[in-house]
Amino acid sequence: MSIRTLILQQLANTLANGGVVSDDYSLEANELPWNASGEPLYVKNMRVVYVGDEDEAKVQLYRTLDQGNVYQTETTVQAFLTEDAKNIKANNPTVIDNMLNAKDIVNTANGFNVQLAESGYEQEIDGDTITYTFEYIFTTI
Amino acid sequence: MAEINVTAGTEAILTLGTTEAMAAPGGTGGMVIPLMQDVTVNASPGIVRYSVLNNPSSKAFTTVNENSVSANMLLDEETFFGLDAAGGVNQVADDGLFKTSVDKTEVFFSVAFQGSGAGGHYVKGQGFISGLAPTAQMDAAVWISPMEIVVNGELANATV
Repeated sequence: MSIRTLILQQLANTLANGGVVSDDYSLEANELPWNASGEPLYVKNMRVVYVGDEDEAKVQLYRTLDQGNVYQTETTVQAFLTEDAKNIKANNPTVIDNMLNAKDIVNTANGFNVQLAESGYEQEIDGDTITYTFEYIFTTI
Repeated sequence: MAEINVTAGTEAILTLGTTEAMAAPGGTGGMVIPLMQDVTVNASPGIVRYSVLNNPSSKAFTTVNENSVSANMLLDEETFFGLDAAGGVNQVADDGLFKTSVDKTEVFFSVAFQGSGAGGHYVKGQGFISGLAPTAQMDAAVWISPMEIVVNGELANATV
């Protein structure tokens, strides 16, 4: 199972169970955040969380004399959420907190030896919308 | 004349055994240490320097050779703790590096410079395993340990 799939799995839970699904918010479980008529879907569909595809890089952690090399995989995933800046929902802080904590689903029990798991977000206001761009960074062995 | 290239992954090999033949590169039953990051053969004659009143430069004479082989490696479970199913051929492999070191068991070894193919040069000797210091840290992700073989006697070179 890929890291993106795990994050989607976690975010598909209800708000009370560490996801984003509630009366006000939902998750797009299939589509990537593509642009429709020049506008990203997450801007067009406010309060719907979109998770982007993975960026991956394999980096050599150790070289050994018998070529038993150890590699680490660096994976970055972005997620997006847009809100009406004039009408921020009361659940917004919980949704953001749950989205940050969704990184914890990537763990040994789910098949990943995690060396580093970080998440963060930036926000940008454009007109009357505010867009949160989340970034998950994982280093796995 | 050419450098000895080790990038193929089959050139620099440290082999341990209970006999000289077993410990030779490619020797039957020999225990090849896997996942080594580096290996160093230290062949050092002891030297004593002294000064004399009628010479502005120091003089020197040699004493006994102090030889050792050192390496750093990622820990392999069976190499460190012994074979899961003891083969009964090579006690060093059956016991693993840790027990062999604790028991102070003398081992034969070879360091192949050019692999185990015919004509390849290697250095051989016998000694005691020392200097194991397994270390784990989150940044390193795996167990790593140095190792030293304190050579008992002289090193010798040979070819496969």
